[in-house]
Amino acid sequence: MTADPDLSVTIAGLRLKNPVMTASGTFGYGEEYAGFVDLGRLGAVVVKGLSLEPRSGNPPPRIIETPCGMLNAVGLQNIGVRSFVAEKLPRLRDRGVTVVANVYGESVDEYRRVCEILSTALGVAALEINVSCPNVSKGGLAFGSDPETAAQVTAKVREVTDLTLIVKLTPNVTDIAVIARAVEEAGADAVSLINTLTGMSIDVETKKPHLYNVTGGLSGPAIRPVALRMVYQAVRAVRIPVIGIGGICTANDALEFLIAGARAVQVGTANFIDPKASIRVLDGIADYLRRHAIGALRDLIGTLRTPGE
Amino acid sequence: MDNLQHLVLEGEIQSNDEVSPGHRRLVVAVSGRHEEPVPGQFAMVRVARGLDPLLARPLSFYGYRRRGGTGYMEFLYRVTGRGTRILSERCEGEELVLTGPLGRGFDIPPGARRIGLVAGGMGVAPLTYLARYCRERASGSIRITTYVGARTAAALVGLEELSALSSEVVVTTDDGTYGTCGVVTAALEADMGDLCRDGVIFFACGPRAMMARLAECLIPARVPCQVSLEERMACGLGACLGCAVAVRRGDGETYASVCKDGPVFPLAEVVWEGK
Repeated sequence: MTADPDLSVTIAGLRLKNPVMTASGTFGYGEEYAGFVDLGRLGAVVVKGLSLEPRSGNPPPRIIETPCGMLNAVGLQNIGVRSFVAEKLPRLRDRGVTVVANVYGESVDEYRRVCEILSTALGVAALEINVSCPNVSKGGLAFGSDPETAAQVTAKVREVTDLTLIVKLTPNVTDIAVIARAVEEAGADAVSLINTLTGMSIDVETKKPHLYNVTGGLSGPAIRPVALRMVYQAVRAVRIPVIGIGGICTANDALEFLIAGARAVQVGTANFIDPKASIRVLDGIADYLRRHAIGALRDLIGTLRTPGE
Repeated sequence: MDNLQHLVLEGEIQSNDEVSPGHRRLVVAVSGRHEEPVPGQFAMVRVARGLDPLLARPLSFYGYRRRGGTGYMEFLYRVTGRGTRILSERCEGEELVLTGPLGRGFDIPPGARRIGLVAGGMGVAPLTYLARYCRERASGSIRITTYVGARTAAALVGLEELSALSSEVVVTTDDGTYGTCGVVTAALEADMGDLCRDGVIFFACGPRAMMARLAECLIPARVPCQVSLEERMACGLGACLGCAVAVRRGDGETYASVCKDGPVFPLAEVVWEGK
């Protein structure tokens, strides 16, 4: 098969040219990687989490390497939604980038107000609501680990936006299916998972935690099997599209998620190690489809063959 | 934005020799298009081919030479943890992937006639490159006064080369096993009168405690100084926000990224208190 496979996927009303997105917090505001990657080739760029006002983040040290992964406790350092709309968004628009804005709030009202601003800005394709950050004292995980509050945030945001609404879920819960169903019923168009797993690391010489914040979010290939299992469970729990995230470094990794039923994937920590990781994943998926004579990616999604099927 | 794809380099290890116990000099040959590093800049070095260890290591440039179309990037490193231990086991002829040069290097005024270098521990690496860079490019004479401090004689590395590039060198060790016993900033303070008369500009790299003492000494005297900072980082590109350092901006304080806003900062801009 020589023709280029059709890589396009649809997330609710949003058509993406391919399923490869970059994960929030690992790709800056896109421009940090513009010299390495043709951003317009990506399915979408998910930008750093935006709050209503700028946030300076946590004191250092903020990161520590762990086996096949890393812990971070950046604490949502960001320039604030208004600076993003005024300074960063026009540049992404000029490059023809499909922009997904990641949203963070300390209160339901803050989530709602940030989403309002982004919904009237030109060039935002979708919103990803972060109810899953483990590194801030208020908001974030507090909203995402309880089905009722996660649904409440989703419903309030739904009222103010017609954009495709993605809710990013935390793995730090007992049952991912319950949370996924709760936000689906509250009006989410899609769910993305997983955010980082809460973890910790100690310097035994000084007896101090490696992170100022004591705990942090674990990311990288170490979490991939956990992420894949949760995506597999979420796909079975909801009818809305599921976006797979968690330690995806190669096309093979991404294909696991797609076969498990993810409609799209996000490449995260791998961007830190190889600035061209997202494009390598994209090219590798196209190669796989050619090799297996699959004309359209949508024919691959959810084709997992479990024993007995 | 400019195309930066040429910063991702697949080099070949030219040599990776021990220069003193626990310290190695790594030379990586890169062919094809690449940029010449400015002293103070660094590269993110992938010590292993796979994903363990996961993150690349930031190493500041110790030197750079170009012969024909090939660039030879030099690094000086101490084997301190798992990543540098794996790097120390890499052999001549093997491929090494790195991204660089990255960050903002030292800003060397073209007319500088007298410079002071203050190196603590592995801080000798970027400052040796700086000294060689200045020697090779200075149109007239340039006087380089160098202060090197280490915990103990065994921790001194690259002293011979740095001494050869310097007009004069003062060495201190905390335990007195080499040079003057004491901290390097005390030695510098004794020479301040002479240094200031000549309109000296300082460049420093070393442990945070050394640079905090340097700030107490140089800032009140209004002596210009640039410092190169070291911090854990994942990307080196300003995206992970892991390498935050508190800096003064306007009336307030904020976090800057060591990798992108630095690693070189004006001494007076960094918030040394706390931590």
